[in-house]
Amino acid sequence: MENEIKRLEEEFQKDFQEIKSSKDLEALRIKYLGRKSAFMQLFSRIPTLAKEEKGIWGKKLNTFKNKITSLLESKAGQGENNEEKIDLTAPSVSREEGSRHVLSTVSKEICSIFERLGFITIEGKEIEEEWYNFEALNIPSEHPSREDFDTFYLDIGEKDKGKYLLRSHTSPSQIRVMKESKPPLAVISPGRVYRPDEVDATHSFMFHQIEGFAVAKDMNFAHLKGVLLHFVREFFSTGVELRFRPHFFPFTEPSVEVDISCFICKNKKVEDSKKKCSVCKGKGWLEILGCGMIHPKVLKACGIDFKKYKGFAFGMGVERIAMLKYGINDIRLFYENDVRFLKQFSL
Amino acid sequence: MRFSLNFIQEFLRVDVSPKELASLLTMAGMEVECLEKQATDWIFDIEVTTNRYDWLSMLGIAREIAVVLGKKLKVDYPSPVKKPSLSTRDIVIEDKRDCPYYIGRRIEGIKVSSPKSWLQERILNCGLTSVNDIVDITNYSMLKWGNPLHAFDADRLEGNIYIRRAKKNELLVGIDGKERILTKENLVISDSKKVIALAGIIGGKNTEVTETTKNIFLEAAVFSPLTVRRSRRAAGLDTESSYRFERVVPSHLLEYASYEAAKLITEVSGGKNKGYKVAGKKPQLEKKSIMISLNSLSNYLGLVPLKSKVKKILQNLDFKVKDLSKDKMIVSPSRSRFDVKREVDVYEEFSRIYGYDKIPSEIPFLKRNLAISDQTAQYYFKGELANFVALLGFKEIITYSLEEKEQLKIEDNGVIELINPLRSQENALRSNLFFGMAKSLKYNLNRASMGTGNRGDLHLFEIADIYSKTSKGFSETSTLALSISGKKRDFFFLKGAIEKILNFLNLDNFEFKEEALNNFTNSLRINVGNCNLGFLGKLNQQQKNNFDLKEDLFFAQLDLSSVVKNRGQKKYKSFSSFPAIWRDISISVKKSIKFKEIEKIIKADNRYLASLAIIDIYEGKDIPQGHRAFTLRIFYQSGERTLTSNEVDCFHNQIRESLNKQEDLSLR
Ligand SMILES: [Zn+2]
Repeated sequence: MENEIKRLEEEFQKDFQEIKSSKDLEALRIKYLGRKSAFMQLFSRIPTLAKEEKGIWGKKLNTFKNKITSLLESKAGQGENNEEKIDLTAPSVSREEGSRHVLSTVSKEICSIFERLGFITIEGKEIEEEWYNFEALNIPSEHPSREDFDTFYLDIGEKDKGKYLLRSHTSPSQIRVMKESKPPLAVISPGRVYRPDEVDATHSFMFHQIEGFAVAKDMNFAHLKGVLLHFVREFFSTGVELRFRPHFFPFTEPSVEVDISCFICKNKKVEDSKKKCSVCKGKGWLEILGCGMIHPKVLKACGIDFKKYKGFAFGMGVERIAMLKYGINDIRLFYENDVRFLKQFSL
Repeated sequence: MRFSLNFIQEFLRVDVSPKELASLLTMAGMEVECLEKQATDWIFDIEVTTNRYDWLSMLGIAREIAVVLGKKLKVDYPSPVKKPSLSTRDIVIEDKRDCPYYIGRRIEGIKVSSPKSWLQERILNCGLTSVNDIVDITNYSMLKWGNPLHAFDADRLEGNIYIRRAKKNELLVGIDGKERILTKENLVISDSKKVIALAGIIGGKNTEVTETTKNIFLEAAVFSPLTVRRSRRAAGLDTESSYRFERVVPSHLLEYASYEAAKLITEVSGGKNKGYKVAGKKPQLEKKSIMISLNSLSNYLGLVPLKSKVKKILQNLDFKVKDLSKDKMIVSPSRSRFDVKREVDVYEEFSRIYGYDKIPSEIPFLKRNLAISDQTAQYYFKGELANFVALLGFKEIITYSLEEKEQLKIEDNGVIELINPLRSQENALRSNLFFGMAKSLKYNLNRASMGTGNRGDLHLFEIADIYSKTSKGFSETSTLALSISGKKRDFFFLKGAIEKILNFLNLDNFEFKEEALNNFTNSLRINVGNCNLGFLGKLNQQQKNNFDLKEDLFFAQLDLSSVVKNRGQKKYKSFSSFPAIWRDISISVKKSIKFKEIEKIIKADNRYLASLAIIDIYEGKDIPQGHRAFTLRIFYQSGERTLTSNEVDCFHNQIRESLNKQEDLSLR
């Protein structure tokens, strides 16, 4: 009997090595411990043995059974791994994801940064009245300053000829809020704007802007600088610097154009034209927005006492910011909606 | 505007490198867009913002250069000689509002030759064309002082000089050789017989200075900016002269310009000054006194500057500064600075020269009026909605709001046209979001940009405004559009997406109603009560051909303002904690019977009916002609207890029996 148990154990060990699946495992259990197995036959011989031998062989057979059972169980957990070998180099199955447009994402990200500073986001309308788009912003008709703002006019009805237009900037939103609500105010306003520009790699007759402004008794230019510096560092990179260049906008005084130090070449000016940074063209600075202190005439047009209140305002082009941030080189990509473009900015 | 460094040096010695100068000017607001060397000269191309008329002259630029170099410009003005008086002609101004001031000078006995090289260099380096000595001198004077002049061939003038509005259909051939038919919008210079110039814009061919000219009538004048602007628009041209008149010309320099140009002509081309006559009056420039306070300046900028520094900068700008108190000063801006009118203008002048980099950066503690907080809802709503639609697998696109006025119409609303379109393809506002969607789909399908492994269907969405004329005027409505291009069954995917979106917005009581829509087949209207939320449908074959689309296109549009109006509150709904049991049922139905009718029968007793799903729809073999087969799965569940298998069989058999009673429907 001793030999038979030993032989069974050796045989089992051999079979056990060759197990490939949970099916094999079950077959092995049946072969060695099943009703018709050699083990059961040995077991059935116990009653025929002498009294003192019954205990010894019963114990030995039980040990054998436990050993096999635990070995089988140990294999059971990993059984599946051994099941079928598949070609893991085959291509993955892709699931088409939905996505937001990069202009929406960038716009939202910009607004969120300002929201965290206490601004709230209010949208304006695209069909705007001439007064809100121009006069209220200190851009009188027949004034040369209006030439910087070519505008599409709308034919709403004979009565209102020339009164309605497609806003050429988001600044009218500022006028609407200031006219309807009393300061203090801190508002950011994104949206589509329109100008009669021929479409090319850098121009489009439709584009997106974000206007921001804050009016309070104690607002000053240093605050404008602080807010914008916070914005660019959060949006682009913590190391960037700002450069404020005097400029002219009818609706702000002083008026400034703002450049950000090139976050690609880190503002290392390179004279050698071959090594010049392709983003800033070696200048080290990139123009990103226009801003200034709100002109007293604008505050007045909105019924705000400019002797009591001061404010700052800024405006930026979303396409330009997105192009800089992601290295997009053609504005038309935003409106072609090529899936290969859309996919790169899923959320 | 281009200026030459050598020209500038007639006013001021510049002792920094051109590059350094360019950078100083840019940082003071005179943006140098291009800097290039031209023989011994440097050419600066600058952007002249619309407020800085004074930068349209070398004098103005030289003053700015002096300021950025920390100096004050000293100018040696000429001393005009106003004799002898011109006796042969009168100068008659019809309306002083069009032309307040006119100076005429007669120079006799000149000999016109090709230009002198120094003169030519000035003209060419500032971007103008050299013509002959006389014309070049008038241009030189314009560049130097900012006042455009014009020289007429005096021998071709007949009688007096008139400054008047053109009569209807008067003609003028300009020195550019073009004939123009004039209107009352045009201010002209004429002699007793003919028009000889479009005032402030262009001279006439008939009195042009040529090589044979011997005597000259030199015009120096101030014309109304608005008059010149309207006149040159009506005439359809834009010249160096009109550009300056349209802004403001420095009338206080007009005598200098007239005299110096006449003197230069006699020096260069010989001849003698033989007559001087003035019409009108030199415009009295209002003497502006602006009171500024150092304290207000500090509060405006967030920086406390030294008073001496403020004074120095303003004085370098040729502003007069008088102390009133320790805090207050009276500032009188230079006569060339028409743009400086208010305290804040002075603050800007100080700060742009002082340097914005010296102002600290500070984050304000922002306060805001509580009342405006509820205006943000629309923006956040659209953001949330767009994110949800993206979660459903749709890709957001952005397409142009402008398209043709003959656009594809879905609903009958008036299209708003542009008065001044750029191209006929974009001459109106869109009244629905279909066109941009179809264009984007087609663009991608043509390029197979989804890749070969893909099934080829595209799910796109856009949230944008649509516009239309209404009885009250116009409307601009925030709208969501969804589209799928693909197979027949995708209609139901789109329908499902709409249901999911409306559920997401807690809008439960909506219903789909079949309704014919322009350009669509199989279209459904989406309603809540009497309110129309939008529609969905399949583009019809004709439009499919029109857009040259090979795949089917399913399109849906939701009016977001109506959706918002009907939006409910999100509220937790409890669900049964007892298991559901399902049973399948297979039926064959005549096609004329709508699924909705079958659903109605099944749901007649809904005590334990939890939900109903279609497992399979089948047509063809084994199914009678004109029928379709459904396999439905019905889920039974109770809120109070676990249903037994026997109970479920009983409910299920009831449903089977009621279905079996229907005509044109058989159990399988
Ligand atoms: Zn760079």
